[in-house]
Amino acid sequence: METTLVENLPEVTALGVIIKAIIILAVISALAGFGTYIERKVLAFMQRRLGPMHVGPFGLLQIAADGIKLFTKEDIVPQNANKLIFKIAPAITAATAFIALSSVPVFPDFTIPEMVFGVTIPLVGGVFVPSIASDINIGILFVLGMMAAGLYGPLLAGMSQANKWGIIGSARTAVQFLSYEVVTGLSILAPIMIVGSLSFVDFNNAQAGGIGSWLIWQQPVAFVLFLIAGFAETNRTPFDLLEHEAEVVSGYATEYSGMRWGMFFIGEYANMITVAIIASIVFLGGYDSSYELGWLMIILKISFFFFLMLWVRAAWPHVRPDQLMWLCWKVLMPIAVINIVVTGIVIMV
Amino acid sequence: MSLEQFKNRTVGTQVYKTLDLGETPKSGMDRFKQVVKRTFSLELFVGLWVTIREMGNALFGGNMHTVKYPFEKLPISPRYRAIHDMLRLLESGHYRCIGCGLCEKICISNCISMDTRYDENQRKEVSEYTINFGRCIFCGYCAEVCPELAIVHGGRYENASEQRAGFSIFEDMLTPIDKLNLQQEYDGFGAVTPNADENIKKTPLAY
Amino acid sequence: MYEIVAFYLFSALTIGLFSVTVMSSNLLYAMTSLAAGMVLISGFFFLLGADFLGAVQLIVYVGAVMALYSFAMMFFDATRDIKEKNTNDALVFLLGGMSALMLVLMFSAPIFSENVQALYPMTEGVGNAQDVGMVLFTKYLIPFEVAALMLLVAMISGIILAGKKMDSSLTEDMDADDEIMIVKDEK
Repeated sequence: METTLVENLPEVTALGVIIKAIIILAVISALAGFGTYIERKVLAFMQRRLGPMHVGPFGLLQIAADGIKLFTKEDIVPQNANKLIFKIAPAITAATAFIALSSVPVFPDFTIPEMVFGVTIPLVGGVFVPSIASDINIGILFVLGMMAAGLYGPLLAGMSQANKWGIIGSARTAVQFLSYEVVTGLSILAPIMIVGSLSFVDFNNAQAGGIGSWLIWQQPVAFVLFLIAGFAETNRTPFDLLEHEAEVVSGYATEYSGMRWGMFFIGEYANMITVAIIASIVFLGGYDSSYELGWLMIILKISFFFFLMLWVRAAWPHVRPDQLMWLCWKVLMPIAVINIVVTGIVIMV
Repeated sequence: MSLEQFKNRTVGTQVYKTLDLGETPKSGMDRFKQVVKRTFSLELFVGLWVTIREMGNALFGGNMHTVKYPFEKLPISPRYRAIHDMLRLLESGHYRCIGCGLCEKICISNCISMDTRYDENQRKEVSEYTINFGRCIFCGYCAEVCPELAIVHGGRYENASEQRAGFSIFEDMLTPIDKLNLQQEYDGFGAVTPNADENIKKTPLAY
Repeated sequence: MYEIVAFYLFSALTIGLFSVTVMSSNLLYAMTSLAAGMVLISGFFFLLGADFLGAVQLIVYVGAVMALYSFAMMFFDATRDIKEKNTNDALVFLLGGMSALMLVLMFSAPIFSENVQALYPMTEGVGNAQDVGMVLFTKYLIPFEVAALMLLVAMISGIILAGKKMDSSLTEDMDADDEIMIVKDEK
């Protein structure tokens, strides 16, 4: 099925992949900045406030103001910190978040036109830009692995900064992310068993038959589990114990300032987008490349998940670390295992 | 009449809600049941619904609570004790202060200083009148003691200026002569507020 | 061309990082270079076209080194250098060198005897995961199951070791260990 689809497409060149990577970097970084604006606005509306209003129309230029602030702030490295690791840690978070995005379909594929308004485009004219920068057939596994590698950012940041809050933050990182990694993997295993592939494209094609064929109807439990684990892995509100201001000042980010802190931030928002993309493709049918609006649909789905994360932040309180572990090991993991067993039995029968 | 009703007989309507928290689970099975009940009673979604409802109220119901402060201000109570105003006589437009010096005497933080002299008509006139707002504690004694209702507390509460003298010179506090028709009469320190009737509630008599 | 450049890049980086792991007396440097080396090893799998194994390497070793980190966090101050107590440097050198030599000989033996050939070449038309699964569930079924059993034993013993005093809290004399109980007024 997908082979015929692939044959119709032009060849993917290295230049196309590079262009795609640049597009992902630029757009997702911008979206991460825009995400902070959306988050502040949505949270404000839910608390019946106005949110940022004064910089630009409706406060839209607040992103620019924040960006200027982040870039020009003093970059402080504490005296007793392990300076090299301290400097590397934010880069790990940001880099892994974007590497994970390299194997998910982000935008539709397109071909750069050879001529625009009669002017020939040099070098990149006529280059085919694929929707997935690196279309490996184990996309889901790679994304999960890359997100797992991203845990080293907060972990190293907390351990290297010679600050007790940082140590607590990194201990929580190790505990929380390792635990929820298990739930993410197990919950997404059941849909993988049904589709029989680890490729995002196969997932998308398996659900091409409209809303009725979405995997959420076959795997509602896995969907809920994946959402919960996704919230924990992106460090979003009911589970944002790593930098819980009320408990551990700012956790792993206590000693960070300026652009290094900003890289943590961009990484976190990029991870949110990644989880939203995975949830949309695996459970909610993904994109539909047969017509133009198919791509609008997945952007709507991703936006919904992004909004859900903000919505939940406005509505629900934090949990304690022990409740977090209790939830993971005593509730979610058994349910995930049972779900896999039941799915397996149903597939075999 | 029960004791509860008796105690509440003169108090306005009570709308307290009692939360039914249920029994504290004792055994492991009870705890398990509690978890299952809480999971499937969809209480979490009530929280989600409340926030999205408030968002709708705020955006489309005109229920936004933000006051864009420097551009719009909330009305303050007429009894609010902010920067002092010096009032004028309505007929002649002359300031009301007769230079008796009572405010200077009563001021407990010693922040009012005034000087008077006789003018050409042998009337006492105020030649010097300043209030040191670095010291003033806005107790209101000066307004209370003033026999002419000349010094009162006004509503200017934004006390930021480039110089300390910004508010405290007599001419600054005096009602501008062209705004004389807008001058509010001050009922005297401790007078009831204009909307006092609305604020009256039943006093609980029995405790 | 790309493959050769990538291979030498990965090799140099991996060897460099693992030597840092061995040489450095700073805990954070050692652990971080170990983790980075493990991640880079998955690059070799990707180069060889074994995407599945690469991703598995990534996931497994990221988690494993993370567990090591948590031990390091518990036992050491991560920002200080650690003084190792070696009673006999010569013995350590000898034993380490011997085992390294043996490993090199063992793994280079097939290269000397004959050219390395893939025992299980990739099947056309099926993915990486299927290939691994077929081998795992046919020829290596018993080792696979034994490994699973071993992990199960390890897990159970871990739970028993850690769970001896799970029911009683160290800080409080109450057994509400898992969630907030809002105690109702029971008058």
